[in-house]
Amino acid sequence: MDAPAVNIKNRIHTSIGDKLVKIFSITFIAIIAIACLYPLLMVLSVSFSDNSVVAKKGFSVIPQKATLDTYVYLFARSGSRILRSYIVTICITIAGTLGAMIVTSMISFSLSIRDLKYRNAISFFCNFTIIFSAGLVPWYIVCSQVYHLRDTYFALILPSMFSVWNMFLLRTYFSSIPVSLYESARLDGASWLQIWWKVGLPLNKTGMLTVGMMYALNYWNEWWNALMFIDDKNKFPLQYILYNVMSNVNAIMSGRVPPGAAANIKLPSETMKMAVTIITIGPIIFLYPFIQKYFVNGIMTGAVKE
Amino acid sequence: MKAYTSYKKKNGILREFKKNHQLYLMCIPAIVFLIAFSYIPMAGIYMAFTDHKLLDGIFGSQFVGLRWFKAFFGVDTGSGTRFNGMGLKSVYNTLYINLFGLIFGTAVPITIAICFNEIKNKGFKKITQSAMFFPYFLSWIVVGAIINAFFANSTGMINRVLVNLGQQRVRWYAEPWHWKGIIITADVWKWCGYNSIIYMAAMSNFDPSLYEAATVDGANRFQMIWRITLPLLKPTVIVLTLMSIGRIFFGDFGMIYGIVGNNSLLYDEVAVIDTYVYSAMKSLGFSYTTAIGLMQSVLGLILVSLANHFAKKINDGEGLF
Repeated sequence: MDAPAVNIKNRIHTSIGDKLVKIFSITFIAIIAIACLYPLLMVLSVSFSDNSVVAKKGFSVIPQKATLDTYVYLFARSGSRILRSYIVTICITIAGTLGAMIVTSMISFSLSIRDLKYRNAISFFCNFTIIFSAGLVPWYIVCSQVYHLRDTYFALILPSMFSVWNMFLLRTYFSSIPVSLYESARLDGASWLQIWWKVGLPLNKTGMLTVGMMYALNYWNEWWNALMFIDDKNKFPLQYILYNVMSNVNAIMSGRVPPGAAANIKLPSETMKMAVTIITIGPIIFLYPFIQKYFVNGIMTGAVKE
Repeated sequence: MKAYTSYKKKNGILREFKKNHQLYLMCIPAIVFLIAFSYIPMAGIYMAFTDHKLLDGIFGSQFVGLRWFKAFFGVDTGSGTRFNGMGLKSVYNTLYINLFGLIFGTAVPITIAICFNEIKNKGFKKITQSAMFFPYFLSWIVVGAIINAFFANSTGMINRVLVNLGQQRVRWYAEPWHWKGIIITADVWKWCGYNSIIYMAAMSNFDPSLYEAATVDGANRFQMIWRITLPLLKPTVIVLTLMSIGRIFFGDFGMIYGIVGNNSLLYDEVAVIDTYVYSAMKSLGFSYTTAIGLMQSVLGLILVSLANHFAKKINDGEGLF
């Protein structure tokens, strides 16, 4: 990742220009990094703060009168709803990612084998869906009226089960496995399905983890299909709960809701909003240090191909 | 003779399927998903040319030719449906947000990648990269909640600062003209870490000897960035830019909806084609919105094909896809 290090030792004088570049670099990177992290620290801190202090003094990155009250209150009052959508999100993430990985890895493995004569035709069949689509409305009508996905869990899982981008990414990983490893299994009489399962997948752990994480993140952050198809509150995924909280807040803040009606809708407090946000980000916060490298890996692999 | 070759060709196809049928079977699940969610909806494009009524079904409704396309451009079609001119406004918004998103979304990550290369401290790099990459993991809903924490009228961070400085509060959520800027900033914020990794990947392939030669010639770091790194990055930048231009008529639905939601005051200012289609779907009918989606897709197809053509020219025959 580093550009070749310049042999500075040989140079007796480091010019002022070099120093300026270095100072600018460090400052710039530090500012961007803080700008990226600061809002999250703030959200985290506010969610652990005492609501009355926040209302008086405003936000800060250090929790004010640190307390778990907001979370306790949240779970006592609407715990079952949040817990339920947590389970919905976890289930669609697991089911969706597993299904997506089976579907995606089978076709990627297959298309990575050069012996397959029509693999370019199949690739084009996949690619065409990226460059041309029917648009939202026909898609919506087919999903709701032909497949009857309205208010089903399938609506949250099936539409995003196969991503052509991820397929090409995974194929790049499979392509780096030497064919000779498959050949010997072929000679032993193994079927391609067995080779995929027993040779291909174990040799491609990094690729599988990387693409699996990408699917999992996508399912965790899922709310769009919920917006399209789900009306039943019991089937709301987590992100969509937060969306509903925030859109109530938005509607009142725009001043369009008549004052009488606004009085009836109780605005969630600041600490409450932030606590729901943290709950929605959920396990990503804890898993981030471990999963980050797979995403970097995936972006690099995808980028190098270009 | 001709009959013989076609027989042989057919035989070739059969033989290929016989030989590799397991591999083809393994492609089937993915192909089924593509057919179900991408190809079958394409039949619904026909709705763009009919006056769709739910009871008549997709193919039973009355054919009206180009009525909806004309309506989009403000031609009075005498159909009785009134259009408020939001269509063209949403095109303008889409282009505006995407164009500035493209400019800053390229400049900031490149600057990050270059600066990152100048820093030698491994620990500092590790921490800052983790921080910069984190926003990529958040959904637009979460980003919307964070933006709310900054811009909320009474409790928001920014209004607090303004009040402390003795300024007037700004009612951000009631003043639409701020929001294009806020959305573009949020877009750059969310993607800067991700995109900088793409440029770092490109930079890791640069030939080290170029830099060594420049050092021998007494060039300083700034000259090396200006004369070596940036020119070498040019092909990557051009390819990524072409890709974005191919999708310039597509707005980010999640971004707009996640940040602004259904706030009707801000809606006109930031509605992109995609959100307009969604909100008009129920009020102005399926046919009209299918027509808009079709125009968007066709324009997208043309632009992507052109972009691919140019990318091939620049990239020694290697296209975008």
